[in-house]
Amino acid sequence: MTSSPVTFPRVLASEAGKMTGVRTLRWTALSCVAVAAGTAFGLSLFARPGGGATGASLAVAGHVLAQLGFLALGVTAGTEEFRTKLAHVTFLAVPRRLPVLAAQAVVTAVLASVTAAVALVASIAVTAARRDALGLPLNLADAETVRMLAGFVLHQTAIALVGLGLGALLRRPAGAFVTAVVGVVVLDQFLAMNPGRFPDTVRAFLPGAGTRLLTGDDRLAALDAASSGPHLEPWAAGLLVAGWATVLLAAAATRLRRGDIASWEK
Amino acid sequence: MSARGRGATLPRVVAAEWTKLTSLRSTWWAALASVAVSAALTYLSANASSGDPGYDPLGDLTAGLLLTQLGPLVLGVLAGTGEFSTGGFRTTFVAVPRRWPVLAAQAAAVAGFALPVAVASVVAAVLAVLPAASSRDLPVNLTEGSTPQELAGTVLFLTGLSLFGLAVGALVRRAVPALVTVIGLTLVLPVVLTLAVEPTGTTFAEGVTPQEAAVNTITTLLPSGAGGLLVTPSDALTVPGAPDLGAVGGGLVLAAWALVPLVAAALRLRLKDVK
Amino acid sequence: MIQVRALTKRYGPHTAVDGLTFTAPPGAVTGFLGPNGAGKSTTMRMIVGLERPTSGTATVDGVRYADLGAPLHSVGTMLDARSVHPGRSAFRHLMAMARTHGIPRSRVEEVIGLTGLESVAGRRTGTFSLGMGQRLGIAGALLGDPGTLILDEPVNGLDPDGVLWVRHLVKELAAEGRAVLLSSHLVHELALCADRVVVIGKGRLLADAALGDPALGAGSLEDAYLRLTAGSVEYRAGAAGGGAR
Repeated sequence: MTSSPVTFPRVLASEAGKMTGVRTLRWTALSCVAVAAGTAFGLSLFARPGGGATGASLAVAGHVLAQLGFLALGVTAGTEEFRTKLAHVTFLAVPRRLPVLAAQAVVTAVLASVTAAVALVASIAVTAARRDALGLPLNLADAETVRMLAGFVLHQTAIALVGLGLGALLRRPAGAFVTAVVGVVVLDQFLAMNPGRFPDTVRAFLPGAGTRLLTGDDRLAALDAASSGPHLEPWAAGLLVAGWATVLLAAAATRLRRGDIASWEK
Repeated sequence: MSARGRGATLPRVVAAEWTKLTSLRSTWWAALASVAVSAALTYLSANASSGDPGYDPLGDLTAGLLLTQLGPLVLGVLAGTGEFSTGGFRTTFVAVPRRWPVLAAQAAAVAGFALPVAVASVVAAVLAVLPAASSRDLPVNLTEGSTPQELAGTVLFLTGLSLFGLAVGALVRRAVPALVTVIGLTLVLPVVLTLAVEPTGTTFAEGVTPQEAAVNTITTLLPSGAGGLLVTPSDALTVPGAPDLGAVGGGLVLAAWALVPLVAAALRLRLKDVK
Repeated sequence: MIQVRALTKRYGPHTAVDGLTFTAPPGAVTGFLGPNGAGKSTTMRMIVGLERPTSGTATVDGVRYADLGAPLHSVGTMLDARSVHPGRSAFRHLMAMARTHGIPRSRVEEVIGLTGLESVAGRRTGTFSLGMGQRLGIAGALLGDPGTLILDEPVNGLDPDGVLWVRHLVKELAAEGRAVLLSSHLVHELALCADRVVVIGKGRLLADAALGDPALGAGSLEDAYLRLTAGSVEYRAGAAGGGAR
């Protein structure tokens, strides 16, 4: 028997071609850049000399709001096929199914990291004048600065994969997005408003903990002093978000492998 | 004139939209989530703080509001985008060719549904503080002081948020972008703005800096800030640097957040083709 | 060739397909008939691996669909003409399918030509009429030049020219030695192009015979169909009024 022509690179090329053609995804990526840079610029206006801000913290300041965009990016990538009833055509061509999800994960990771990198460069550019005025340069020889800038890209990429996992698992855009926002952003805020040993411990293990990757050392120390939960190292927090993305994608893979693609599935 | 001759009158369109809204499963899920979240979070919060000296059970009534807001927002957005995501709008606009009455009817149906849901959420919150209050033998008197305003304000706030969600949903027409917009404006932007001022650590003795005044003004004018004024007792401290709108002013700002996108959606329906 | 053996699908207490056995042989058009809700679509979805059978098997050329190395080269399927991203052009839709199998661009252009979509291939499919969507679905089924075809209601929404085209196309495909499984509610249309019919009702096999086989009884295929399915129609207009026909 000849080897199958349905190779992973081919499935990847197919998914990449489809996803880059989806207008919503292009708009979402563009919004991520605009929101990150716009927020960073706006917040830099509030920074004052002698405040807690550093050059790096001003450059990544748009991350909280931009997270919503990256979640939407992943959720859209994971649900678009079901929303448009296209899923069955895809799985007719790739009946083993899992290569499709793997390809979507690769494309989402590439799209999100490129978008995050562009958003970061845009944020650095629009805050440049203000950082000069405040005397807060961006020193790329400084390990903390490098960690925060790289952390911005890594965290947003992981967040997009969390969105993809939830989207592919739940198959409904609105339900998946609301679940994602609650898990990544809102629950964290709520627990922050009600500090205590238990809420602080839960907070430390939510996907939003990945923001520690892009938080400065001084600010981390202040946060840890106020929290009675465990204190994760920034890189450990980064691994934690990656773990969340992996678990959700694995759950989506299980549903995909075992379950039906039902005719009413959208 | 016979009943047959009048066609799609507004009450009939409202009745049709009501049927559509209440036949969606997502509507009931959002309603259930709103009530359940309100009850659970208020209960947990009341239990956690009931040991504090000088504990006031009524102080916990709005403890779950941050998350309860999501239910009405999602309900509104899905009501606004539902027709466009399923193609159902073709049938609807064939039946009501003038189109804008559909939007007005959707607003009426959503408000009519969200209001009892909001009342149920508030009742759930009241019931949820009772165990903590009785464990300390504290009375729960809902008719005294600012409590009646707080309760009524919460109901109006939640109902207003559902209309804000509907308006953005009808304008944007796609569920995820609409949800990003409303959740970003209502839940996330206020936090981002707070973070902007927090690390500077100035003391109040120095007065309000222009930056803080700006942040507080923007926060107050956002849907959640404006709605929060409805809930806040009128004798509470005003937010430093922000305009003192009062409960009525806050309610009007929230109404504007619903009305402006709703009018824009109506114009979009009127001027553009429906594909 | 499609072989279905004791195929069963249950959704909770509801049995959609109940011990169905039939074969769609090569070189013939097999008409697949049954009232609404009889289980035709569920059966077709199980053959192509979208839904898992509760029990029984469905194979193409002796292999489960999910185990086919190059499914698009073995089976061409059109289940729902609306299965295209409304924002994607017909060309890009077909290219995305083709890429998974390394099918060259020239073949994509060929099936676009075969189905008469040249003038609209670059347009967003959201603007397509039902008939154009059907043509695109058929183009997707032909893409891999497969030995077996599964077409669910292919003439639905086509203009008279299109109906005639599909009729000739399926006959030609069968004459080339391919197995064609074709479902339709248009019994007259099936009578013109099918060599054999499989009739099901409430998920069970009612008849599996060549056209003209005495087993189908005297009269037209429509008479035979109505007689066979009389006991298994789930949704009938005017049933309360005594089942007018």
